[in-house]
Amino acid sequence: MPNRAFKIYYLSETAVTVEFGQQIAEDLLTAVNSLNLLLHQQPFPGFNTTVPAYSTLTVFYDPLVVIKSDLPGAGCLAKVSGYLGDLNLQMKTTNSVKGDTITIPVCYGGTFGPDLAEVADLHQISIAEVIKLHSAATYKVYMIGFVPGFAYLGGMDERLATPRKATPRKLVPAGAVGIAGQQTGVYPLDTPGGWQIIGQTPLKMFDRDRGQPSLLKAGDMVVFKAIDIHKFNELLAG
Amino acid sequence: MQIKILKPGLMSTIQDLGRHQYLSQAVPVSGAMDTLSARIANKAVGNQDNAAVIEFTYADAEFVAETDLLIAYAGEGAIFQSGQQILPPERPLFVPSGATIKLINNPSGSRTYLAVAGGWDVPEILGSKSTCLLAGFGGLEGRVLKRGDVLKNVQELTNNTQQIVHYFEEKLQKNSKKYKVGYPGWSIPRQAHLPADAKTIRVVPGNEFGWFNGRSIANFLSAPYIVGRQSNRMGYHLEGAAMERLKHQELLSTAVMPGTIQVTGSGSTVLLMADCQTTGGYPRIAQVAAVDMPLCAQLKPGDAIYFKDITRGEAEMLYIEREQQLHQLTIAVQNKFL
Repeated sequence: MPNRAFKIYYLSETAVTVEFGQQIAEDLLTAVNSLNLLLHQQPFPGFNTTVPAYSTLTVFYDPLVVIKSDLPGAGCLAKVSGYLGDLNLQMKTTNSVKGDTITIPVCYGGTFGPDLAEVADLHQISIAEVIKLHSAATYKVYMIGFVPGFAYLGGMDERLATPRKATPRKLVPAGAVGIAGQQTGVYPLDTPGGWQIIGQTPLKMFDRDRGQPSLLKAGDMVVFKAIDIHKFNELLAG
Repeated sequence: MQIKILKPGLMSTIQDLGRHQYLSQAVPVSGAMDTLSARIANKAVGNQDNAAVIEFTYADAEFVAETDLLIAYAGEGAIFQSGQQILPPERPLFVPSGATIKLINNPSGSRTYLAVAGGWDVPEILGSKSTCLLAGFGGLEGRVLKRGDVLKNVQELTNNTQQIVHYFEEKLQKNSKKYKVGYPGWSIPRQAHLPADAKTIRVVPGNEFGWFNGRSIANFLSAPYIVGRQSNRMGYHLEGAAMERLKHQELLSTAVMPGTIQVTGSGSTVLLMADCQTTGGYPRIAQVAAVDMPLCAQLKPGDAIYFKDITRGEAEMLYIEREQQLHQLTIAVQNKFL
């Protein structure tokens, strides 16, 4: 992959953001995740953590360590920006991250998917067709945001695009699979929500007791697999 | 050491200095809103700055000492009172078993922090003891404190804390009559680390600062903003001059953090606080200087504030100076008990 043009800007005393562009595109995602990987392999003194997003990688650091480091530049912003700029020049095809492919079993419809029929009616296709379209695609995880473990997925079939519900539900259970506009996603926590709910996964999208609490991470691929209620209960029982 | 909560108050949670390692999984930072007060309370009992404290919101809370206690409090939400005795903030307090402590009203701010020798003993989850109310974990069972909760301290104490405990125990043996709450004449004044004008908040222009028209920018840096009723640990709604956009381009969701000031679609401003989301899609007009976040943490609905712009370099210098001062304080407390 060629080295992408980027801009680095100040977020706060403890963070800078590297911006590769301003649109949702797979090559930007690759650039973000490649730099993220490289930075974790070659951290600078005072590096703390990162937040990858659609087209940006935000880098958090401890100014007290950075300022004392021998990185060139006056002030933390210059020191960190210089380091990240050099790192970006080192990015090669070999640095690009192969995300994991995660299969998410979903029990579609019934009480688990109260809006499935509405989605089918709106697009004048059968319920079976909605399930087929939703589970046939391979989705890309662009970023994790909003609430712990919530993945912004790209790659939904445009034929499933459905506006949000006019009135949000007071409670959408953790594991609910929904559609909102061009997006699909899985609610990791019990929260209020306005997405069209078409099914439910027995998997925990966020589990604080897991080594990696969020089931998904930026750069992963996701496939939804239709299961019946028996399989759902079996998986839920573990 | 052990206390029991008799009255929890409006919103009391266990917090430390935050959960910083899981931002990429959208786990909010959480942690004390006013980290300066939390750190001063911890320093006053010889703790590490990151020890778990209780964050009280306003007054009307009450707890009982079920053992002798070494505690300290700091912040502007309440004054501590035991019987008729007013307990001074920002210094170690030696509280006898059985004493009841009430938080009484202090109209100057909203949040007060209670540290105990060793810190409050709750499990560390994802690298922090802070309460994550959104996902219901951390702190005490992932929730706000309620009546009847019993909290213990961490038994392992720093050398400095052991010296402070020892100092009070020796003093008490010398005058063995029934004792009241004991404390030294010195304190660690929080105010010494803050600007005299607590209502002017310094900000660094944000990446989307230029998305707004000149009149809006002028208003932002001169007109008052009132903290709205819909304000909580996630963020404050600020009521004031609406921000008008020069260009109506969409911002792709990207990282935000406590101190980020976003402008919503309707032009109103929101200041993100400790429990905020890790990403957001509203343009960021400014970032509050980290050294002024303790001022923001003490704001109440109805308070008027002004924003003043400083440069990135100034914000960074202020941050480093504040940290150096706070490091000196730890050494100063250590020297008092050597």
